[in-house]
Amino acid sequence: MNPVQHISTIQLAIATLLIVFCGVISMALQLRLEKQLAIGAVRTILQLMIVGYVLKFVFKMESPYIVLLLTLVMVGFATQAAVGRSKLAYPGIRVQSFVTLTASGLLTSFVVTSAVVQVHPWYRAQYLIPLMGMILGNSLTGISIALEQLLTDLTDRANIIEMELAHGASAWEAARAPLHDAVRRGMIPTINGMMVVGIVSLPGMMTGQILAGSDPIEAVKYQIVVMFMLSAATALGCMTITLLAYRKLFNNRQQLERGLIAKR
Amino acid sequence: MAVSNVSSVTTPVLSVRYLSIAAGGQVVQRGVSVDVHPGELVAVTGPSGSGKTTFLRTVVGLQDAVDGVILLRDRPAAAWGWASYRRRVLLVSQQPALFDATVEENLRRPFTYQASKDSTFPRDRAVAWLDELGVGADRMDQDASTLSVGQKQRVSLIRALLLTPDVLCLDEPTSALDVDSVALVQKVISNEAESRGLAALIVTHSVEQAERWCHRKIMLPGTKMAVDK
Repeated sequence: MNPVQHISTIQLAIATLLIVFCGVISMALQLRLEKQLAIGAVRTILQLMIVGYVLKFVFKMESPYIVLLLTLVMVGFATQAAVGRSKLAYPGIRVQSFVTLTASGLLTSFVVTSAVVQVHPWYRAQYLIPLMGMILGNSLTGISIALEQLLTDLTDRANIIEMELAHGASAWEAARAPLHDAVRRGMIPTINGMMVVGIVSLPGMMTGQILAGSDPIEAVKYQIVVMFMLSAATALGCMTITLLAYRKLFNNRQQLERGLIAKR
Repeated sequence: MAVSNVSSVTTPVLSVRYLSIAAGGQVVQRGVSVDVHPGELVAVTGPSGSGKTTFLRTVVGLQDAVDGVILLRDRPAAAWGWASYRRRVLLVSQQPALFDATVEENLRRPFTYQASKDSTFPRDRAVAWLDELGVGADRMDQDASTLSVGQKQRVSLIRALLLTPDVLCLDEPTSALDVDSVALVQKVISNEAESRGLAALIVTHSVEQAERWCHRKIMLPGTKMAVDK
């Protein structure tokens, strides 16, 4: 294995020339993107630097409380992103999404760190935080697609669902098709990702490992673990959120509470 | 208060007592009471906005009553279990709701529910009713989405009748039908009422239906909101 190739400040400055090049093109073609490019570049540097120092601090502290705090902050942002995309919502959607992302993320990370990578303790920041980051990024997409599909279906097909209830279907029987469709839709991007990985694109994590000097085969093994982990977390997340939404939107009188679903 | 001439000859199959109902967060009717006896067809009339559809939805338990009691054969609706109750007190909405599937699959679907696990799909009767109601027995395999609104309305009615409910709650059951089809629908429902004691609450705007076809009617008075309009 090659040693990790360190990047000096001068080397980083050279990389910055690439973004300057973009700016020059923008000016030459009068695209008027220079300002956004500049803001984007500065934000990239600042955000990543801050994350870098935060991670360095957290890794050094090795405190389960700090790891938990950071995890919850990450889940909070992921929840906002997942719920913010949906055009329809219901009371409690945020709390349910937060619980779903926390549970599916921690459970899957636990399996990977404790059983696959075999880190002790399983919540070691160096492993848990990057894994949670990848999981949250993936499952928030799955969850927001599943929620969107479910809420749209329950709104558009309310007359069919209520017809089924009116003919003696239980809430579960009437809701089964929309619930299935929601989980299925939420899972599709992840499954598609597994279909094309390595052919159409090289995953960022694997590329990063290779650039940092890892053996490609080792990087591939890690990537396989990551892909399966992301699938499991997304499946778990989509199933959990649709079940929680079902429990919220159908009551024990076997009614669809259509009034709870509102446009935003 | 609804007007109801309760017959005392038989025990009512369905008793609605002092029912208050709400739509859009507003109470639209208070204290509606009606007893429906086996074989009895009761028209539910009233001006637009008086809550006729809401009344039927509340009776079958698709939405909660603000107040009041609903008894099926002297047992509260909830005591039957909601799925079992709704299978017996069955709502057919004005807008026919059919799946993207064949007519036969639509008619079979309710027999797959747990609440109907002891019943088998009576295909012969389904075919006979399709014929009798003028939809055509040969349409069993047709994609339901290709039917006209009137045909869909009749298929919805047949789907409900096949479950042999005790009470049918029909919301404008003939709104999309021509005169001949209306007569056919009335005949089939009246036959079921006479032969096996099917009772029905029928929301209608038609005075003719309320007075000639149904045995009696209840009137939901207009709400202040409706009067203001």
